[in-house]
Amino acid sequence: MVRRPRARPPSKNCTGDVMKNTFLLLRWSWRDLRKYWVKVIAIALVIGIGTGAYAGLTSTANWRRDSNVASMELLNMYDVRFELATDSSVEEGALLAAAAGIEHADWIEEGLERVIRPTQVDASTATDAVLVPGQIVGVDISTGSPAINGWHLAGGVGLDSADAGAPVVLLEHGFVFHNDLPPSGVITVSGGEQLEYVGNAMTPEFFIVVPENTTSFAQGTYAGVFSSMETAQSLTGMDGAVNDLILTVTEDADRDVVATEVKAAISDLGVGVNVIPREDDPSYRLLFEDVENDQEFFNIFALLIFLGAVMGAFNLITRLSEAQRREIGISMALGLPPGRIALRPLFVGAQIALLGVGFGVLVGVAIGNLMKSVMESLLLLPIWLTDFQWSLFFWVAVVGFVIPFAAAAYPVWRAVRVKPIEAIRTGHLAARGGGLAPAIKRLRLPGDTFGQLPFRNLLRAPRRAVLTALGIAAIMAVLVGFLGAIDSFLGALDRGTSMIEGSAPDRMVVSLEGVLPVDSPHVAAIGNADSVDGTVPVLQIGARAQGEEDVDLLVEVMDLENEMWRPALTDGDIATVGDGLILAEVAASDLGVGVGDTLRVTMPVRTGPSSFSFVESDLTVGALHESPIRFSAYMDDSALALMGAEGAANVLYANPAAGYGPDDVQRELFSLDAVGSVQKASASADELDDLMAQFVGILQAVAFFVLLLAVLMAFNSASISFEERQREHATMFAYGVRVRKALRMAVVENLVIGVVATVVGFGGGLLMLWWVVNVTAAETMPDIGLMVELSPMTLATVIVLGIAAVALAPLFTARRMRRMDLPGTLRVME
Amino acid sequence: MIELRNISKQFGDGVPIVALADVDLSVDAGEFVVVLGPSGSGKTTLLNMIGALDSPTSGSIVVDGTDVSQAGRKELFEFRRSSVSFIFQSFNIFPGLTAAENVQFGADATGRDDVDPAAILQSVGLGERVDQFPHELSGGEQQRVAIARALATGNPVMLADEPTGELDFITGVQILELLQKQAAEGQAVLVVTHNREISRIADRVVELSSGRIISDGPPAEGKAALEELHW
Repeated sequence: MVRRPRARPPSKNCTGDVMKNTFLLLRWSWRDLRKYWVKVIAIALVIGIGTGAYAGLTSTANWRRDSNVASMELLNMYDVRFELATDSSVEEGALLAAAAGIEHADWIEEGLERVIRPTQVDASTATDAVLVPGQIVGVDISTGSPAINGWHLAGGVGLDSADAGAPVVLLEHGFVFHNDLPPSGVITVSGGEQLEYVGNAMTPEFFIVVPENTTSFAQGTYAGVFSSMETAQSLTGMDGAVNDLILTVTEDADRDVVATEVKAAISDLGVGVNVIPREDDPSYRLLFEDVENDQEFFNIFALLIFLGAVMGAFNLITRLSEAQRREIGISMALGLPPGRIALRPLFVGAQIALLGVGFGVLVGVAIGNLMKSVMESLLLLPIWLTDFQWSLFFWVAVVGFVIPFAAAAYPVWRAVRVKPIEAIRTGHLAARGGGLAPAIKRLRLPGDTFGQLPFRNLLRAPRRAVLTALGIAAIMAVLVGFLGAIDSFLGALDRGTSMIEGSAPDRMVVSLEGVLPVDSPHVAAIGNADSVDGTVPVLQIGARAQGEEDVDLLVEVMDLENEMWRPALTDGDIATVGDGLILAEVAASDLGVGVGDTLRVTMPVRTGPSSFSFVESDLTVGALHESPIRFSAYMDDSALALMGAEGAANVLYANPAAGYGPDDVQRELFSLDAVGSVQKASASADELDDLMAQFVGILQAVAFFVLLLAVLMAFNSASISFEERQREHATMFAYGVRVRKALRMAVVENLVIGVVATVVGFGGGLLMLWWVVNVTAAETMPDIGLMVELSPMTLATVIVLGIAAVALAPLFTARRMRRMDLPGTLRVME
Repeated sequence: MIELRNISKQFGDGVPIVALADVDLSVDAGEFVVVLGPSGSGKTTLLNMIGALDSPTSGSIVVDGTDVSQAGRKELFEFRRSSVSFIFQSFNIFPGLTAAENVQFGADATGRDDVDPAAILQSVGLGERVDQFPHELSGGEQQRVAIARALATGNPVMLADEPTGELDFITGVQILELLQKQAAEGQAVLVVTHNREISRIADRVVELSSGRIISDGPPAEGKAALEELHW
């Protein structure tokens, strides 16, 4: 009888064996990392940039939301504002009394009357001329800072009841900050009044400065002058009168009911009133309500950067692990269970993942700091809450951590599904399938076999080629989207500037202090100024057009046949405009109208020398102009009769006389009576240009990381390809093929990937840009009509990076090719 | 065609490993020489020296009129392009190219434009397989493609490293027949192997041991015919 051998009892030290074995695998994986350390660090950086950029770019929404809430709460921003029609005013106390008399007066928490009037401010220092338009805001300062829309002192000292009526004011902090003014000094306002400013303050309506008569942000070129009610009344000639009311309401109040009732009560006073809910305040809207829309812009880029990095990392780690295919087969042959076999590549994946997450924190903090510094300089808030968003980073880091595992496990999973002998085999039996190469067997490509090989190599491994191309394409798409967004913004600015400058590039816009007869001595004095060569009277009015979407308009009514300047039209003819409106294309599009259509417009009609009320009229759309500014609209002065304002103007266009510049006009007109402000017509575009420079700064900084990502992926891909093709290169060298020819083939191969990636990325980038311009920007910046634009520089950057950099990446391997151990690589070993 | 004088090769920086020591060897055009030896005897190192894949520590190597031991990097590439062609144990044909294209590669590498890959494949018995990719060919067929590629170079020296190492007996014999034929047509053919049976069909057998030539001459039992081989 044959005795069967007894099964060995389990080792008493089984756990110890497993631990020993695990430590061996850990050491082994550590050696793998050291062997491929350059690639490992590059892959970890790819993961780090992907996760870090995501965390950094997506953090701004939380920062802005938290900071806005805290800042608004600190300064108690109004819930609803009642702005009297241009040049209208009522007796001090009348507005508060009207509000107190409404049915739901108990819903009103606090109320504050104000005097708000445009002015011109000369804050010139010994070295710099600072002559800007501005706004005087007078409030009750009996308790210091106003109860609603309070002042947060950023420098100098505040005002108190002792300053009531005195020529003492505060300047808006942004104006002081951007012009580098001292915390206290002297300014001169319209009418030559000198005021001492004792400090500078932030207040919610000025967190972002969007003055009524300018196109957009004007932080440094528009001066908020905050004073006591008495001082403001004295400066504006409104003794005992007010023209603005702000309210806060209780938590349980229906604000719309309060607004409706107060508006009716004010209308009963015989003045027109414009109701502005907090959400419609330009500062609030841009700061707060559009945070989500702004964030969408960054989210889509962050997501694409992340996806590109994920695809890149997955592809690279998979290829790195596939190099161990034979060793996996040997382990299978030795009887190791698949789970144990997978441990070593998984350890490698884990170590890359850890390194990647570490890099991710660094990149996230770097991008976060960058965004933070730009945000803080862009938006001057009293409170900024910019903690690193660990919760955002955590989830993306989890994905960043899982990807290397999945990428390392995938080739193991594939390898353990074949018989061990298939994994171990070398030589012809291990020859891999031809992928898609047979598909183009009959297609004769130009050139010799050196010309064929790069294409065949790509088609041999289509999955790998596609993944590599897609990873780079995602990055290219982000770059096209980023740079295209910048181009589109700048393109809109150029179009706007081009129309505003037109045939009178130095045209000055002189805002009058109120509506004046065009034959008044004040207007004549402006026309007769030495520095002025002709004027065009303009009545500038606010209006609201009703259509598919209601659009607020700033209508400039002038003689459209004047010889100085007229809007450039894209549709329609000046001669046939008649009493019709000339709208911006984006306004017509949003309203759903075209030339010849009729539009219902709420516009002011003069009811007295300095008062207007709003009425609804039907106007024809006479033409469309080329400016991208949606609210910009024009009418011929023949329409003034509709408003009961024949011969009236509140703005003059003035051309500098020969030998005089815009500064000369500003200085001369500043001293004249009835002049509210004087600025170059293109000043608002210049301000936007400055603002864009900061925004472009963010995009360019992020673009740097995107470029780095693309270069890292291209380098890694080239490096891994080099190792995968080592034997083929060695064979070529054995046949006397020069290194430069082998490099040329690698370059061609990468060139194909680069071209495909760039074409796909370009298409994706255009789609993203379309979305940014037509969806995100349309919601975030409805007053600017953007068009999808790409500059030659953007195209050149994308081509250079996507094609040239990717194609040339194999040159990094030139040194290794030259130093290749040919006998060893060819395995001509004994 | 091949002249080696006092060739020595050492590996390693610390305690050097002597791969070849004072080797002298001459091979004429049309000779079919088998370099025989056990593993570690230095035979592949010798082949690498002749093919300019490696350089000797001392001594001189002149192949087809070129002193490869003194040549610069550029000359070595030129030498490999114009003088020698390799056949490897694991074939090393390009998986992305068809059989004909692999053969064409040999011609392209040397700049020849008068080569008909199909005709060369026909001559090695693969006339019906010209458009097949390597993974569609058997091991023997792949090695024949490798030989056809070497033939396409038109170079006067053919160096084969264990060309039958991965093949079954019948296929191996077919490959040896092809190599013999090339020698008969005037090429200097050097085959490295550890298989003593193969050496029986050689014109000359050079036997190496521990980096030294221990014998050099015709097969001890006389040159055998291919039909007499068995392993």
